[in-house]
Amino acid sequence: MIDIFPLYLTLKVSIFATFFSVIIGLGLAWLMARKEFYGKGILDALVMQPLVIPPTVLGYYLLVLLGRSGPLGRFLEDTLGVAIVFTWKGAVVAATIASLPLFVRPARAAIEGVDKNLENAARLLGKTEWEVLKSITIPLAWRGIAAGAVMAFARATGEFGATLMVAGNIPGMTQTLSIAIYDAVQMGNTKMANLLVGIITIFSFLILYFVNRFTRGRY
Amino acid sequence: MSLSFHLKKRFRDFSIDIGFSTKENMSVLFGPSGAGKSLLLNLLSGIIKPDQGFVSIDGREVFNSAAGVNVPIRDRKIGYLFQDYALFPHMTVFENIAYGISHEPKNSSRVEELLDLMRLGGLEHRFPKELSGGQRQRAALARTLAAEPRILFLDEPFSALDYQVREKLRADLLMIHQKYPITTIFVTHDLEEAFVMGENIAIINNGRLEQFGTKEDVFYKPKTRNVAKFVGARNIFSGSIVSLNGTAAVIENPEIGKIKTLVDIKGAHLSIGEKITFGIRPEEIMIIRPDKPIDKKVQDNILDGEVLTTLGKGASHTVYFKVKDRDATLKIEIPNFAYRKLKLHKGKLVTVSLKKESIWIIPAEKTEVRG
Repeated sequence: MIDIFPLYLTLKVSIFATFFSVIIGLGLAWLMARKEFYGKGILDALVMQPLVIPPTVLGYYLLVLLGRSGPLGRFLEDTLGVAIVFTWKGAVVAATIASLPLFVRPARAAIEGVDKNLENAARLLGKTEWEVLKSITIPLAWRGIAAGAVMAFARATGEFGATLMVAGNIPGMTQTLSIAIYDAVQMGNTKMANLLVGIITIFSFLILYFVNRFTRGRY
Repeated sequence: MSLSFHLKKRFRDFSIDIGFSTKENMSVLFGPSGAGKSLLLNLLSGIIKPDQGFVSIDGREVFNSAAGVNVPIRDRKIGYLFQDYALFPHMTVFENIAYGISHEPKNSSRVEELLDLMRLGGLEHRFPKELSGGQRQRAALARTLAAEPRILFLDEPFSALDYQVREKLRADLLMIHQKYPITTIFVTHDLEEAFVMGENIAIINNGRLEQFGTKEDVFYKPKTRNVAKFVGARNIFSGSIVSLNGTAAVIENPEIGKIKTLVDIKGAHLSIGEKITFGIRPEEIMIIRPDKPIDKKVQDNILDGEVLTTLGKGASHTVYFKVKDRDATLKIEIPNFAYRKLKLHKGKLVTVSLKKESIWIIPAEKTEVRG
């Protein structure tokens, strides 16, 4: 009998991470697609950083920041009583930061692809910025946004390095699918490794396949 | 109903500085491509923020840089029909039209009424890409009117359409405009359209207002050489004033000779010897019929010469006429029946008359003005 906990945890972490990526990422994507402001280039580079930085480095930063002696970690623990490091919440934080750029990139491109005159037409018809975003920008950019969300989800399921640093490898608590694969190989449990690798491979293939079908334009 | 504004905006390689007031129902912004017409509409509606100036619609200021007034676009109640219509591609015709109706519930009888008026009945469930160009344009106009704007901007609304459709839609638009008499600014680079649509015409060139006036004014009394060019006054010459006697003046140009003309007392502060620019519209030059005595009204400026070439243009003919023993070439526009009666052909010797009241004069300095 195989342990399904890593599968369950990975799904849970990925869903939360995707949710946060989409919420934070939509704001960032809209800001970078539609507004000019000082420090835009720096913000862009910061958000994209997880794409190029080694995941362990990212994990180390998060560990320092969110650990019990880190500034943010202490604040959360003292005021809210929430511990992040070495819990499944740590895995969510790591996966969110790692998947954010994969969401922001296509979402930004999709928002940039929406004809500004359509937004202006909506404003001229008496709509507020929020109404314009809700009724024009997002509906017209939704393919790119959905594609970004799926990519973010896929990235979150595959997250390894940063998660290992922040959440650790505690079986039954913080051991996600990709960490379980590493563990199985280390233990010489080839059968288990093959099974988990198979699941991940099929899953990633399906995601890319559907993203491609999805993003074919309609308008 | 009125619109009054003066706006300035600098860009890296272009600047705009235009203002005028109008109480007319329909004013036309006319000028060549790249003159800044659409840009001006963007500045007026708040899509682009002007550097300086004011905009007042029906006496209410929506922008004033000095007073720090800048009403958001959504509260300006401006109806703006974009050149590409900007219909929302993910909404049906019905949803597009209902979009700007603010009072809940989305009043469907108002939409029905507009669908009817715009001859869009039966198309309300189609998406914009399933419509023809003309239908799209009418849907966009219906959407604009549904929001009950205080002023309407039409940015080259017919430029993307075929000639036949265009003429039909122009008539439609004028009919709709009578039914909903909203102050309208109509942008075009098509001269004929400018004259069909507008009571007042603002001629814009290179980000500046060249002239603003009634169509008769800009047509027959251009104030600058550019305006003369844009309104199709092809015969433009430089000259100087030889004599002045009340309203009667004689001007001289080395290519044509001496020409008698009339000057507008209030308009022109001209003096003898002053350099001027003058011209006459092609359709104001008469070709004299040799078999008839010359009418007294056209006796003044008689020129002999020969026909260089003729061009048929549908309803009329263009005749290029070279003045005898001189270099000047005049462009003459005559109706087809006159062309046939005169039996014109290349090389034919004819006599023409430049009616003195049809000649316009502007001081030469005005021609140096550049934006």
